[in-house]
Amino acid sequence: MSIRLEHVDFIYMQGTPYEKQALSDVSLTINKGEFVAVIGHTGSGKSTMVQHLNGLLQPSKGKVFIEDVDLAGKAPNIKACKQKVGMVFQYPEHQIFAETVFEDIAFGPRNKGMSEAEVEQQVHEAMDFVGLDYETYAKRSPFQLSGGQMRRVAIAGVVAMKPDYLILDEPSAGLDPGAKEAIFERIMKLYQARKIAIILVTHSMEEAARYANRILVLSKSRILMDGTPREIFLHHRDELRQASLDIPQTVQLVELLRQGGLKLPEGLLTEPAVVAAIKKVRGLH
Amino acid sequence: MQPLIELQDLTHAYTDAENNQVLALQKLNLQIEQGEFLAVIGANGCGKSTLAKHLNALLLPTGGKCLVNGMDTQDESHLWDIRQTVGMVFQNPDNQIVAAVVEEDVAFGLENIGVPHAEIRPRVETALKAVDMSAYALHAPHLLSGGQKQRVAIAGVVALEPRCIVMDEPTAMLDPLGRKEIMATVKKLQREKQITFVYITHYMNEAMQADRVIVMDHGQIVMQGKPAEVFSRVAELQTLHLEAPLAATVAADLRHAGLSLPRDIITNEELAAALCR
Ligand SMILES: Nc1ncnc2c1ncn2[C@@H]1O[C@H](COP(=O)(O)OP(=O)(O)OP(=O)(O)O)[C@@H](O)[C@H]1O
Ligand SMILES: Nc1ncnc2c1ncn2[C@@H]1O[C@H](COP(=O)(O)OP(=O)(O)O)[C@@H](O)[C@H]1O
Ligand SMILES: [Mg+2]
Ligand SMILES: [Mg+2]
Repeated sequence: MSIRLEHVDFIYMQGTPYEKQALSDVSLTINKGEFVAVIGHTGSGKSTMVQHLNGLLQPSKGKVFIEDVDLAGKAPNIKACKQKVGMVFQYPEHQIFAETVFEDIAFGPRNKGMSEAEVEQQVHEAMDFVGLDYETYAKRSPFQLSGGQMRRVAIAGVVAMKPDYLILDEPSAGLDPGAKEAIFERIMKLYQARKIAIILVTHSMEEAARYANRILVLSKSRILMDGTPREIFLHHRDELRQASLDIPQTVQLVELLRQGGLKLPEGLLTEPAVVAAIKKVRGLH
Repeated sequence: MQPLIELQDLTHAYTDAENNQVLALQKLNLQIEQGEFLAVIGANGCGKSTLAKHLNALLLPTGGKCLVNGMDTQDESHLWDIRQTVGMVFQNPDNQIVAAVVEEDVAFGLENIGVPHAEIRPRVETALKAVDMSAYALHAPHLLSGGQKQRVAIAGVVALEPRCIVMDEPTAMLDPLGRKEIMATVKKLQREKQITFVYITHYMNEAMQADRVIVMDHGQIVMQGKPAEVFSRVAELQTLHLEAPLAATVAADLRHAGLSLPRDIITNEELAAALCR
């Protein structure tokens, strides 16, 4: 159960003076049960790559398979395969279209042929998931919301479709820290309960370190690195900086503390781990 | 000195599609001093962008007053001067770029307000220099990185020589390097051109670098002060859907476990200094 890219090239506006190669020879398999963070400088090809995972863009060269079905082939179940992949776009205003928040989120469940009662149930759940109060917001126009509220509507709409592969393209841009934390907690629960795949495009190294079990680093249209958060963030700081990225705040703090003489173990990545390690060397509980 | 911007009981009620009133700002009072770098933080929907739009009269008060350099935004005859005084930069760099060459993009605003031709070139050059983008004057904007595009957008505003620039989440779409570039640009413009900045962000690490931070909730200011004062109030920030920087949170956890640490630790360096003595 996986999505697979084989030697994918993608070129925008091919054959014009504005031609732009956005992906070069990208090969990759993402299995169900993986939580993959995709990081890379702006323009490195992240959004272009994830739009191949649900067939929204077709490669200029190479192949894309969802659960072994070639998206460029003639199999009768191509549409069904694409529907297993849910995508929250980088710009939420690109995927919001209905007159009310309710109608916008209800679109997916309705398309799946659910009864009106079930649809309402799904919308309720999805709004709860992203922390939007049903009474306050269900009847509001999604275009008259704040940036962060609009982002939450977009996330809710995709979550309500219960995808097997959930792609989130910079979902936390514009979310307040509380919402980020709460939504990621729900996403982790969903991930663990349903063993789906999560593909998270993010500019936050902290988010990548904290939630993902695999990190893909894109640079200049190519995959530069593919490894666990530990491998990437603890051993490749110079390459990351060269690729316009950074190491997480936690890793920077640990480095300063070790330089200052505090005897912390290597390999600390998350905030709770750092706090626990400091307490230990200071004999606190 | 008179504050550059003064908000007196500023109130804004939107009317939504169903004709209900949505109260986005409630009797908000604030003075923004000349030359200060003011960060604005707060939960989604607390009214930050609404506040920003009042500062150059994109929105008008439904109650109270907004004075820009002494000019009341309600008074239509000042509209031109107010827009000259306060410039805006938004979140998405791609939506703010209009021309096919960087220097033309920066010149666009100047042409729009009828600046004489001879004056345009030097002002464009100065503006590009101010954001460290001179080397890219003849480049195509769509080939730049996000941080570079955003600096071009800032140059377009700087060329208009405003006293104040309001930035609404200018780094939300940028990679870590791009975010650093914008922070450095803001500080440089504040220092070298004495431009006042009102900087809205969800990144606490950015707000930490301001001269003063205001925290909004439900259309009002609920906390304000120097970054060290605001960001050491870890628990309060959490109830407002915000977070403290990593060092402040770790320090709070350690204090809780019985370690005595100074109250106002907010940077990694400060925490390291306190722990490694
Ligand atoms: N055009 C509009 N019509 C009606 N209500 C609106 C409109 N724009 C914003 N609002 C409401 O006004 C309140 C303040 O919105 P604003 O955009 O100022 O929030 P914000 O602090 O910038 O939030 P965010 O962090 O999500 O960008 C919110 O409750 C929002 O739903
Ligand atoms: N619709 C488009 N038309 C032309 N070029 C594009 C388009 N979308 C993206 N690009 C270009 O392709 C490259 C990769 O873009 P993108 O996948 O959006 O990067 P990322 O998501 O990593 O910021 C960039 O150089 C970008 O300018
Ligand atoms: Mg993108
Ligand atoms: Mg806003």
